[in-house]
Amino acid sequence: MTASLPSGGPDATSARAAAVSVAVGTRSRGWFQSQSSRRLAFGYALLAPAGLYVLLLVGLPFLFSLYLAVSDANVGDQTAAFIGLANFQAAWEMETFWIALRNSVVFLVVAAIFKSVLGTSLAFLLLQNFRGKKLVRALVVIPFTLPVAVSVLSWKWMYDSQFSVINWALSRAGLIGGYGSESWPIWLGQPHLALFACIGVNVWRSFPFSAIVLLAGFTSVPLEVLDAARVDGCTFFQRFRHVVTPMIFPILIIGFLFDTVFTLSDLSVVYLLTAGGPGNATQILPVLAYQIGIQAGSLGRGAAIALTLVPLLFPALFLMLRNIKRRDW
Amino acid sequence: MSDRHPIPTEHAPVSRRGFLKVAGGGVAGSSLLTMLNARQAPAQIKGTTLRILTWSHFIPAYDVWFDKWSAQWGEQNGVKVKVDHIPHLEIPARMAAEFAAGAGHDIIFNGSTILARLYYKSLIDVTDVYDALGKKHGGWIPAARSPIEVEGRFYGIPLYYILLPMLWRKDLFDANNLKAPDTWELARVAARTLKSKGNPTGIAFSHCNDANLNWRSVMFSFGATETDPSGENPTIDSKEMREALAFAKALFDEGMTPEVFSWDDASDNRFLASGIAGWIHDAISAYRTTESTNPDVFKNTYVGMEPAGPGGKRVSVSAPNVFLTWKFSKNPQGAKEYLTALVDNDKEGMVASTGYNMPFLNDNAKKPMPVIGADPKLQVLQDFPKIVAFFGYPGPYTPQIQEVANLFVLPDIFTKVARGTSIDESLKWGVGEYRRIFAKHKRA
Repeated sequence: MTASLPSGGPDATSARAAAVSVAVGTRSRGWFQSQSSRRLAFGYALLAPAGLYVLLLVGLPFLFSLYLAVSDANVGDQTAAFIGLANFQAAWEMETFWIALRNSVVFLVVAAIFKSVLGTSLAFLLLQNFRGKKLVRALVVIPFTLPVAVSVLSWKWMYDSQFSVINWALSRAGLIGGYGSESWPIWLGQPHLALFACIGVNVWRSFPFSAIVLLAGFTSVPLEVLDAARVDGCTFFQRFRHVVTPMIFPILIIGFLFDTVFTLSDLSVVYLLTAGGPGNATQILPVLAYQIGIQAGSLGRGAAIALTLVPLLFPALFLMLRNIKRRDW
Repeated sequence: MSDRHPIPTEHAPVSRRGFLKVAGGGVAGSSLLTMLNARQAPAQIKGTTLRILTWSHFIPAYDVWFDKWSAQWGEQNGVKVKVDHIPHLEIPARMAAEFAAGAGHDIIFNGSTILARLYYKSLIDVTDVYDALGKKHGGWIPAARSPIEVEGRFYGIPLYYILLPMLWRKDLFDANNLKAPDTWELARVAARTLKSKGNPTGIAFSHCNDANLNWRSVMFSFGATETDPSGENPTIDSKEMREALAFAKALFDEGMTPEVFSWDDASDNRFLASGIAGWIHDAISAYRTTESTNPDVFKNTYVGMEPAGPGGKRVSVSAPNVFLTWKFSKNPQGAKEYLTALVDNDKEGMVASTGYNMPFLNDNAKKPMPVIGADPKLQVLQDFPKIVAFFGYPGPYTPQIQEVANLFVLPDIFTKVARGTSIDESLKWGVGEYRRIFAKHKRA
């Protein structure tokens, strides 16, 4: 205890002694009691909910699907035995698997190209000042926010072989013949057309997301920088290429990563439009994994098919994230 | 104490375990029969809850009846019954989720995807109910056991199946001097003739359940088979299958348009209702919908017997609908009694479904059947129970056949042929897919 002055405060001697005792005590209790460790602990405590969230909702399901992929798990059996890579081998022996893999890659690449072009154009449009801009901004996100089943079923009607409103409009415009003619497109029945029809719906649903991500990036670029570039004589495309793109590159990459994951895991569009048909022309890996893993009950093989893209995506994700980090430094 | 050493007697030796088995079985059986006769559930289910998951029926009026009847049964027996309806395509995912959680509904419906054999270890053995109902209602039709039987035991109660007969336009046939499509060859001739008049035919070549059902009807009627009677070995590589494929190619080239590659289960309904189709091979929901949407077409649409193949054989591949009960159900007794009462009242259900539901029990299949027996155009459906078959015919409806159906392997063989791939090459691909799937299940 320290002696108190009449005014109530500690005297100088006892205060110094207390300070010394605190310092000695800190050393004796070690690093764990230091201010920096407490700050570190506080920081981790704040991060913990996010870490826990990622662990529980991403990490554990991922590990569980890895476990399923190397087991003979099926939906009707509580037990599963380890079978190594047999499920992957079984998938690779399927011709349908390779068709699904090819279609998935085509789906991803073509959709990414269209989403980039349309998303960028829309983002630039939304940057302009015009009447009703807020309303337009609200409207463009509708495809993204509508329940997927509702929007895809609407598209199914628009692609209907007999009552397609798209065909009706094209026919009325004189661009194609009438129903039953050679030029009447069967959107979901002709192999290449069916795949592109599915991609079209995916693009329609997702490009507003791309636009919003880009819009967020564009608005973060300081106007002074753009003005300086303009004064220096840069054209629109030069400003976009050499000023805007490098500045929003991290946002672009994150948006691209999200979009890649969303596109590759998009089961609903193809499943609801064609279920992978006709003749596997639109078969993609998520649909195949669902048909084998859930509908036919072979969880192990379904998981193996679903995980096929992970080894391909992992290096790409690693390289992209490393690139962002380097740019930060 | 052990019962390994039964007391020897001069007559047939009876162990205590054997005695208990026989006596217990007798008591349980007689209780069930008494209960069935009294049409009243015993007191022990009073105050319980029963949760049922079923599909949204294609005939909405059936769902109205089903919900009302279930509620009434619950009131009469003091059971709180809760019925949930979801689209039939979502049922496999829901079933997998309930199995993983070990909780959910007590009774679960299986329609286009029958998972009884896959989940049977987790389902209640309802052989006692199945046998008692069969005894009471004149036995089950032969096809009834295929979707729910595992090693001689039954793990589900079949309620009804859905037929896909010929629906043909009599006015168009008469105008072109065509005979009724009683054989597949006559159907082909009609398709060829009517297509040139703007009334093509259509059978889906796409990834939908109708394609799975219809092309199997064609191939089985041509004498081809899908598996051997054990269900363990695929048998599609046959002369008859090649003939069926050649027929399908000709039928497509002569009588269809490419839109059949894009069809879903409702497309042929719309095709008929629009007045375009000369004939389709589909459930009578297509016929019923034209009643309100296009009365002229309805008036001229006739329902035909399953067309015969070249050898005169008729096989109608139908969609079975069964009810299963989880082992984790908290009310297994209530589930058994509910299913017993539901099957007992199947005729009411047939009426509510406007003839769409076909009965699995012989007594209910006797002529005149409700609704269809009174409708001159639908009376022919009463002859179908003799020729009904399910996926895997003549073998049972196994998990490997379910996987084949889920992946649409059979419609894809037909699609390849229709698109111009040679029959040998298409069949070689299909046989490879079948063998790979069967081998995988055998190893499992």
